[in-house]
Amino acid sequence: MSGHLATNGHLPMLNHNNHPQENAMITRNAIITASALGLSLVVASPAALSADEAADFPSKPLQFLVAAGAGGGTDNFARTIKPLLEEAMDTRVTVVNLPSASGALAHQRTANGDADGHTLDFASSTLVTSLAAGQNPTGLDQLTPVARMQSDVMTLIVDPDKYADFDAFMEHAKANPGQVIIGGTHAASPDRMAFLSFRDATGLDISFIPYDEEGSVAANVMGGNIDGLFGEISSVLSYMESGEMMPILVFAEERLENFPDIPTTVENGWDLTDGNERGIFVHADTPDAIVEKLESTLKSVYDSETYQEYEERVNLHYREGWLGSDDYREKLEQNLELYTRLLENT
Amino acid sequence: MLESFLSGLGVVFQPMNLLILTSAVFIGFIGGALPGISGVILVVILLPVTYGMEPTQAFMLLTAIYGSTVFSGLITAILYRAPGTPEAVMTAFDGYPMTQQGEAGKALGIGVLSSAVGGLVGTIALIIFTPMLASVALKFSSPEYFALAILGLTVVASLGGRLILGLIGATLGLLIATIGIDPLTGTSRYTFDNLNLAEGVGLIPVIVGLFAVSEVMKRSLSRDAEQPLTKVKIKIFDAPILKKIGVTLSRSSILGVIIGILPGIGASTAAMVSYSETVRWSKHPEKFGKGAPEGIAAPEAANNAAAMGALVPLFALGIPGSGTTAIILGAFIMHGLQPGPMFMLTSSDLIYAVFAGLFVVNFMILAFSKPFIKLFTRLLNVPYSALGPIILMCCIVGTYSVRNSMFDVWLMLGFGVLGFLLEKIKFPLVSIILGLVLGPIAESELRRSLAMSQGDLGIFFSRPISASLIAIAVLLLGTTIVIALRKRARIRAAAMG
Repeated sequence: MSGHLATNGHLPMLNHNNHPQENAMITRNAIITASALGLSLVVASPAALSADEAADFPSKPLQFLVAAGAGGGTDNFARTIKPLLEEAMDTRVTVVNLPSASGALAHQRTANGDADGHTLDFASSTLVTSLAAGQNPTGLDQLTPVARMQSDVMTLIVDPDKYADFDAFMEHAKANPGQVIIGGTHAASPDRMAFLSFRDATGLDISFIPYDEEGSVAANVMGGNIDGLFGEISSVLSYMESGEMMPILVFAEERLENFPDIPTTVENGWDLTDGNERGIFVHADTPDAIVEKLESTLKSVYDSETYQEYEERVNLHYREGWLGSDDYREKLEQNLELYTRLLENT
Repeated sequence: MLESFLSGLGVVFQPMNLLILTSAVFIGFIGGALPGISGVILVVILLPVTYGMEPTQAFMLLTAIYGSTVFSGLITAILYRAPGTPEAVMTAFDGYPMTQQGEAGKALGIGVLSSAVGGLVGTIALIIFTPMLASVALKFSSPEYFALAILGLTVVASLGGRLILGLIGATLGLLIATIGIDPLTGTSRYTFDNLNLAEGVGLIPVIVGLFAVSEVMKRSLSRDAEQPLTKVKIKIFDAPILKKIGVTLSRSSILGVIIGILPGIGASTAAMVSYSETVRWSKHPEKFGKGAPEGIAAPEAANNAAAMGALVPLFALGIPGSGTTAIILGAFIMHGLQPGPMFMLTSSDLIYAVFAGLFVVNFMILAFSKPFIKLFTRLLNVPYSALGPIILMCCIVGTYSVRNSMFDVWLMLGFGVLGFLLEKIKFPLVSIILGLVLGPIAESELRRSLAMSQGDLGIFFSRPISASLIAIAVLLLGTTIVIALRKRARIRAAAMG
């Protein structure tokens, strides 16, 4: 499972950059000044050229670029990691949210910055879905995935008063082609991809309406205006209790331990197991030794009690989240290919 | 329910909690008064702080900050035409002219009173009706939102001033609103491959630019830059004024609560719609924009009521009614709570303590606002050559902090120049904001409605709420046009005779 040797096809770059701390509030002029200072520091410290860059990594505070707005799942993820990584690496971390353009700005800034591993991009599957939709100019070749730490379970969620179970849903959808409407957040989101792959696998004639916020989708399902939504199981737990919304299909190989009554895609013969994933990325040219060090440190963070408690508290513990650098890259490339194909067919 | 509320009050009056609420009100006051720093940002900044607190205290803090920022945006809107929060943009339209006429104290007094009334009506609705109102929110789907946005847009006809300029402004607002990735198809519109435009043009750069920056430019260029007053006496309870704005207060508070409850649209939209309706129903619509007391009362009552209303779907359904409540929802999840339909039952102690906290906060606002505003009015005596650059700096920092984006700062400065030029030809800036706020709602909800009905326009008329809203819009637009035509005919007849 753990792919510790990060051979990403790039030769380790010599690390010239020894900038003094740059934080988010810095203006363009200040950055120019900082770069000038950095140049003078390079002259002063040729030691940075040594082969074992990883030994003195991190040599300055880390910066987390969060490719999502404050308060959401990816932001909570980054802010949970922050104190744990600060302790493990004995450094300081600043967190900057860059929600613009579905996080594309965060990926771009990571890919265009220094390849010294000090800038970490915290992203969700939206990175790949927006890439497939042509809304994210930063390709997978410009970033190195360090690790995937969360893998949420995608489900089809409906109002149980309308559809008692998945069979009832399928029957209705087959009998009324073109009438069943699924809601989701914007047009290049992981839930849209779930919808497309579900429609592709089942051959159903169903349609999709994107909303601006997850809350509006849920409100429309509960209000009976639309038929269902694709979403994470963790987001509907309290609705299941009250019976207002119910997951009726799980995107997984096996039934979930906590929900043995909900059928899976795989048992229906559809190879759909993707959910929303969250991971960490760095500049593509980051030296392997630094990627490895980050990966192994993050693994220890992932295994820590504090982190596992958090996963359980926010219901992300249904599925193993960890995927090392190489495996994660492979997974991302597969997903990109799939999503691109699905979008071409629409 | 009353019992739970009283035990909630008991929790609130514990010394530690009172201290938390008081500090929350002050943080909210300061953040709200600074242009660009809105409730959303303050809640985000304080979010990590609350992780270490008990859930009850954490949510009392966050909701109290939210409530007090919505209030204090009016201070700088009235004194300097620099709305401290997007919610307060409508307040500047009549508040700032009053300041220029030397009536800043009166304007601030109306603002404080209206905010407190709106906030209290909203909180009471929150406490009593949360379970019931939540089901009303679910009745609203795309056709209803579309009809509501159309109703709001028709007010352009009643705004006074030259109708053609109003229409141009609203269209310009609608045009700006189309910039960015189309939420329905993912197509980029007018983005010129610039990632900064992919998310669209934010409300804050436009508002801060058009109003605050353009005013700084205007004042800096004019020779007689001195403020006409040095002493501001704030009078919150003023019987003749109260009589004048009583109807506006009640209508706007109720409108505010209803609009606040609807998921997805928040206090800014509420302030806009209730200002529009006040203009529409007024006997003297021509007085608005020149310092009408009702023009302050309407948006302030509505935005504070709506801020509380936005908490209704959050607590009852786990669905946020606005941007700030969306972040509070995230905070609930981080605290291991499960907001949703069962939340009222499983966490009723917490919820009623938060409700009681908000109730108390409204009185705190009333009590603390006067000394706080005094600080700001003292600044009026500072020469504008010093004050102007400070306001400009606040605008830049505030706008930058919304999305950590330098691009937004340039955009804001650009809108500042645009606003400055438009003011010279007496262009009604309110119409631009109208189009910008209501445009995206109207457009995407129209398309969603048609997707729901497979292209059948009948969906707007077969659903009772949307049908009634559209009927009201048509009726009001018709009446306005008929009245205007008659007036013109009478003037023509008088000229002929």
